Amino acid sequence: MLDTLGSSLKDALKKLAGKSVVDRAAVEELVRDLQRALIQADVNVKMVLRLSQSIKTRSLEEEPPKGMGVREHVLRIVYQELVSLMGASAPVDLSTQVILMAGLQGSGKTTTTAKCARFFQRKGLRVGVICADTFRPGALDQLTTLCRRINIPCYGEKDQTDAVVIVKNGLADLHQVEVILIDTQGRHALEEHLIAEIIEIARISNPTHRWLVIDAALGQQASDQARGFHEAIGIDGVIITKMDGTAKGGGALSAVTETKSGIVFIGNGETIEDLERFDPSSFISRLLGMGDLKLLVERAEEVISPEEVDVNAILRGRFTLRDMYKQLEALNKMGPLRQLMGMLPLGGMEIPQEAADVTSTKMARYKVIMDSMTAAELDDPAVIGGSRIQRIARGAGATPEEVKELLKYHRMMQQTLKGMRGNKFNLQRLMKRFGRIQ
Amino acid sequence: MFDSFKQKLKNVQEKLGTSIQTAFTSPPPAEASLPPQKAEKRSESPRFVDKVKTLVRDRELILTAKDIDDPLTELELVLLENDVALPTTDAIISAMRKDLLGKHRSIGSSIENLVEDTLRSALLGVLGSGLDVVSFIRSREKPVKILFTGVNGTGKTTSIAKVAHYLKKQGYSVVIASGDTYRAGALEQLATHAQRVGIKVIQHQQGGDPSAVIFDAIQYATAHTTDVVLADTAGRFHNRANLMSQLEKIRRVMKPDLVIYVDEAVAGNDAVIRADEFHRLVGTDAVMLTKADMDMKGGAAISITHTIGKPIVFLGTGQGYEDLRPFSPTALVKELLGEAVP
Ligand SMILES: Nc1nc2c(ncn2[C@@H]2O[C@H](COP(=O)(O)OP(=O)(O)OP(=O)(O)O)[C@@H](O)[C@H]2O)c(=O)[nH]1
Ligand SMILES: Nc1nc2c(ncn2[C@@H]2O[C@H](COP(=O)(O)OP(=O)(O)O)[C@@H](O)[C@H]2O)c(=O)[nH]1
Ligand SMILES: [Mg+2]
Ligand SMILES: [Mg+2]
Repeated sequence: MLDTLGSSLKDALKKLAGKSVVDRAAVEELVRDLQRALIQADVNVKMVLRLSQSIKTRSLEEEPPKGMGVREHVLRIVYQELVSLMGASAPVDLSTQVILMAGLQGSGKTTTTAKCARFFQRKGLRVGVICADTFRPGALDQLTTLCRRINIPCYGEKDQTDAVVIVKNGLADLHQVEVILIDTQGRHALEEHLIAEIIEIARISNPTHRWLVIDAALGQQASDQARGFHEAIGIDGVIITKMDGTAKGGGALSAVTETKSGIVFIGNGETIEDLERFDPSSFISRLLGMGDLKLLVERAEEVISPEEVDVNAILRGRFTLRDMYKQLEALNKMGPLRQLMGMLPLGGMEIPQEAADVTSTKMARYKVIMDSMTAAELDDPAVIGGSRIQRIARGAGATPEEVKELLKYHRMMQQTLKGMRGNKFNLQRLMKRFGRIQ
Repeated sequence: MFDSFKQKLKNVQEKLGTSIQTAFTSPPPAEASLPPQKAEKRSESPRFVDKVKTLVRDRELILTAKDIDDPLTELELVLLENDVALPTTDAIISAMRKDLLGKHRSIGSSIENLVEDTLRSALLGVLGSGLDVVSFIRSREKPVKILFTGVNGTGKTTSIAKVAHYLKKQGYSVVIASGDTYRAGALEQLATHAQRVGIKVIQHQQGGDPSAVIFDAIQYATAHTTDVVLADTAGRFHNRANLMSQLEKIRRVMKPDLVIYVDEAVAGNDAVIRADEFHRLVGTDAVMLTKADMDMKGGAAISITHTIGKPIVFLGTGQGYEDLRPFSPTALVKELLGEAVP
């Protein structure tokens, strides 16, 4: 039952394969199958109709880029439209902050609160949790038990019936921690007194973020509910839970659109460790029941614009850690650095041996370390001093020496690339060749 | 409840009515333009044909695909927007198409009825007949053992407290087995509920064997001539083989008279997949839908019963112990078709 949709989409795509002229009937069939796949994944029906209309129009009207087959052309449009629908994944910063969790009854708020606490703890931050659920029997026991497992302070008051008072006291009690997460009782948009309560909690705690926790199985109800929460407290991130089941999470996608926010995390299991950052491409693949969509699109894009593969970033004057992160990803795809450099007609320019020798495992370590950096640090590595190095190392489970080594590598790359900038033409040719090799 | 679903169904009904009216007043198309479905139609839906026969009067009405395609497409959207799962929607639409297409002898004044009857029979065909838990309990040897199953967070524990409260009001004695030994705070949650509704709970410690707890509760019931044993279980996903086989073991040890599968009325298409798997792996006798107070769309009720062919017994309509409604398919369909004020 599960895979029939994915395979009928694949069949529809097959009909477009090898064609050089866009075939109206085939596109229409594809769009119909796409509609069914998205509706079955619980994406809001009206959204699906809008989306499929624009996919159809674009597929029929836009000229496929030179060298790109019709199938890849349509596929790319489908992918682009879906990506734009779900927006960028909501950022998670590692600064001092208060996060308010909200959501329907049983959506997974308490479990997710503990999971998020664990996430920030791993990043090396001091974390505390407040139990503002005064309604559900056993709520405080549940959260206390989970927090004890990871050694995180949990503030709650057993006999207090006013959640707002608990939050006020909890914020005072936890003033020394860097990240405070507030778990709230389940509620839905029609429960006016509970909506009023969470508005009051938001007013008192002035949270940095208000995250809506949504069960992956939630159906067409998702848009309305999300709107209710958004109007009340301004949702700026969505967490989809229970993705370890078979639900596709289309409801959560509707919630993202409704709140104009992004997806922060995915919950995929009952234990505290079962939390992932959101990855749009794997989410789309799951929505459509097709495993290889991103890969297909990437291959298609490599054919049309190999010179776009990060050359611009390389050639830009300012080379931040963020650029380096992107590059590590790109280079990882293209193969070892030494091989890349070996093909460059560099006109006698020397590449430092250490730079060429960076292995892919090392690159992976570097990426982990950079994941523990704040936005400011990624943009301007100069701000990273001794204490920041300590914090970054703690968060990434690395040694301070490794962090320093990464910073040194960055400086080295910066130097090397400065020297390369004169060779734009050759570099582009090189990239084109990569496009063809792959 | 159901208000928007109801309104939209009504709109579609009217449109279908108009289309049929138009077809009725325009001259009958040539025989050749009749869709091929015509021949196979009669054998497959005798019920509808019977109904139409009773309405026969003078003129002939021929409906073609063209007449009903638009309104049926609209109906399809209405169903989908109200969380009726895609396969179920397909089934309803094709049943209606079959019922309406081809050659009917009919009369002008019966068009409203024609549409409504078709829709009603399609919905009732999907919803099946209900089950009254109280008469079920009355008819069985005591203690009557009821097992609650379902995925995480759907409302099993709360529902058990509500059902216990409901049965107590009907004069039955009840004991609850605290079979969720996994989830943090589960023991405290159920103990509090039970204490509030004045029901005995049997519990072991966190991490214990759920079968053993349930077994103890049955022993307790036998020793104290308690009428009903309600067994809670930890929520689990149908794609976790080890957890499902644990549940299957629980069922073997307990030998329940009734397995009630609990899901949320607000669940989307996954509702049919998991209902199907639970039914296949551990068996389901009846279904309870919770959170119907969240402006439920009603679709999950239709799709789950359509998929596993088991009756819905209760709706959960809030977090209070009184928020429980025995479910009747005819009442739902009546309400959806705007025939009764709830
Ligand atoms: N399999 C799985 N179960 C989950 C996930 N997230 C939460 N759960 C389970 O879902 C159920 C409900 O989770 P809770 O965290 O208690 O949900 P809640 O939103 O706090 O519930 P209320 O406070 O009652 O509104 C529990 O059984 C959790 O173990 C997940 O990602 N995967
Ligand atoms: N609004 C509403 N909430 C419900 C209903 N039934 C259960 N809940 C809530 O849903 C959440 C999960 O319920 P619980 O009984 O713990 O689910 P379980 O994990 O399946 O045992 C709790 O917060 C309940 O209060 C209902 O009918 N309506
Ligand atoms: Mg909770
Ligand atoms: Mg429970």
